[in-house]
Amino acid sequence: MRPRRSVGRLPLPVLVATLGALAMARPLAAQQSQWSDVIYVPGHWQAGRLVPAVTHDPATDSMALVMRVDYFSHPPRWRAEVRRSSDGQMFGDPTVILGTGTSAVVVTAVGTTPLAQHALGRDSLVRAATLIFDAAGRRTGAVSGRFADRAADGSILRIVFRRSVRGASFDDKLLDPRNASAGAQFLASRLTAVGDQRSASVVATAGARGVDQVQTPGGTIAINPDTMAVVRMEHYAVGDLRLEDFMRLGGLGPYKPAPPDSGTARP
Amino acid sequence: MNATPRSRARRAAGVGGLALLVALGLAATPAAARAQSIFDRLRHAAGSVGSVARTLLPISTDKEIEIGRGIAATIAGRYPVSQDTALTAYVNLVGLTVAGEDPRPDIVYRFAVLETPTVNAFSAPGGYIFITRGALDLMENEAELAGVLAHEVGHVNKRHVIEQLRRSDFMQSVQDQTGITGAKLQQVVGQGSNVLFTGLSRDNELQADSVGIELAASAGYDPGGLAAFIGRLASHGEGITRDLMATHPPPAVRIQKLQDLARREHLTGGVLLTDRFRKAMGRTSSP
Repeated sequence: MRPRRSVGRLPLPVLVATLGALAMARPLAAQQSQWSDVIYVPGHWQAGRLVPAVTHDPATDSMALVMRVDYFSHPPRWRAEVRRSSDGQMFGDPTVILGTGTSAVVVTAVGTTPLAQHALGRDSLVRAATLIFDAAGRRTGAVSGRFADRAADGSILRIVFRRSVRGASFDDKLLDPRNASAGAQFLASRLTAVGDQRSASVVATAGARGVDQVQTPGGTIAINPDTMAVVRMEHYAVGDLRLEDFMRLGGLGPYKPAPPDSGTARP
Repeated sequence: MNATPRSRARRAAGVGGLALLVALGLAATPAAARAQSIFDRLRHAAGSVGSVARTLLPISTDKEIEIGRGIAATIAGRYPVSQDTALTAYVNLVGLTVAGEDPRPDIVYRFAVLETPTVNAFSAPGGYIFITRGALDLMENEAELAGVLAHEVGHVNKRHVIEQLRRSDFMQSVQDQTGITGAKLQQVVGQGSNVLFTGLSRDNELQADSVGIELAASAGYDPGGLAAFIGRLASHGEGITRDLMATHPPPAVRIQKLQDLARREHLTGGVLLTDRFRKAMGRTSSP
């Protein structure tokens, strides 16, 4: 009687063939990428109003945080989740823009509207946020870091802090206008940008649990699980703007100093 | 019972050839038809050549979070979760900063402090991460905290506990993940808690160290933070570090691996943020 062989002990040729298949299949897939832009403009928030300023030096003049855009790209398609701040304190709900190459549509409750025909198309910051793709739908500009858009006279139009996600992996349905509707927008909430502590889809199931016997290095101990503590964790959020401030003040994330040879423009 | 070397070679060649054909077929399949997971098809192909075997139960993100919630409740039951909102906020800010360098898009990372002098940190599946007050007391700067939290993020991102559960004999009786509910879920949570408290594998820990140093450095922290903290553990001796030392590879090994990685990947520079850390910890005097 022959012993049954397990996958865990596959012969070498099988492994080679399998790895070969994976290696051949991989280059056929275009690269997904994901990143966030946090956008500041010259000025400051005052009683919920943005008081604009003109500056050539953002290091010495006040900059106001006005928008965050989370991008998902799989050329030629891309998706931008735009969240504006109207008071410098909070970001609003995301508006989803889907694009192919340089054309873009805004996802509405009932479908899509070309960006040019939508109110957002008249918003210079939103327009700028969608103009970072070339005709092939590839991102132009730095992968990460900070850079400034300047007017012809050298004054600052906006400062962008970009942070890329390594090993991006998301469902391509998010980029497909055929799925575009209010329902598709809901999908965005599953693609949580870090720091954006929107609740996961798993509903809290806090309930009484009996005493558990748990093994530890010191022996088995009895533990009374604290489900309410977990619910409190899930309801806690530090907030996007606070996280941005934290990173900016510490020179971390997108605010860390650019390496000398990175080629990214300094504000 | 034992096959001869020649028959083994013949069988290996036959199976290998068939697998190669399957593999070539996969590679030539039009992109549209490749929507199905390549791994599912490989598994199917493996089955068709009659060499299957133990198939590990897939566990979705939702189920991972459900299991993780239960394990997190066990952790919170062993050590009380701190009600210090300022400290909780600070740990979340540091944790989210490092997690943001390579986040899993399907989960939300949550951080909490456990009120115990024991030095340790835990991560339950689904993004529930804990660090003890004892560990914070032993740290000197934010880069060390970032390194430790990034190590825990590494466990979450690599699904270490979930993968260990999937490989357990216990899970072989489960036909489908939808069967992991009620009493079965509690059993899985219990198994996962045991895994967490008795320690993951040495490879898992070293992999989490690698992820940790890379995330912390990528976020802009001094990449030496994690190694510095581990070094302090080693010099601290037994007692409050006992559980952590019992469930992790020897500090000297970890430090050496971290230093090798930092050298190989040219991880240099970064900030310590000692003052901000000391202020957050309520330490007013200079170190």
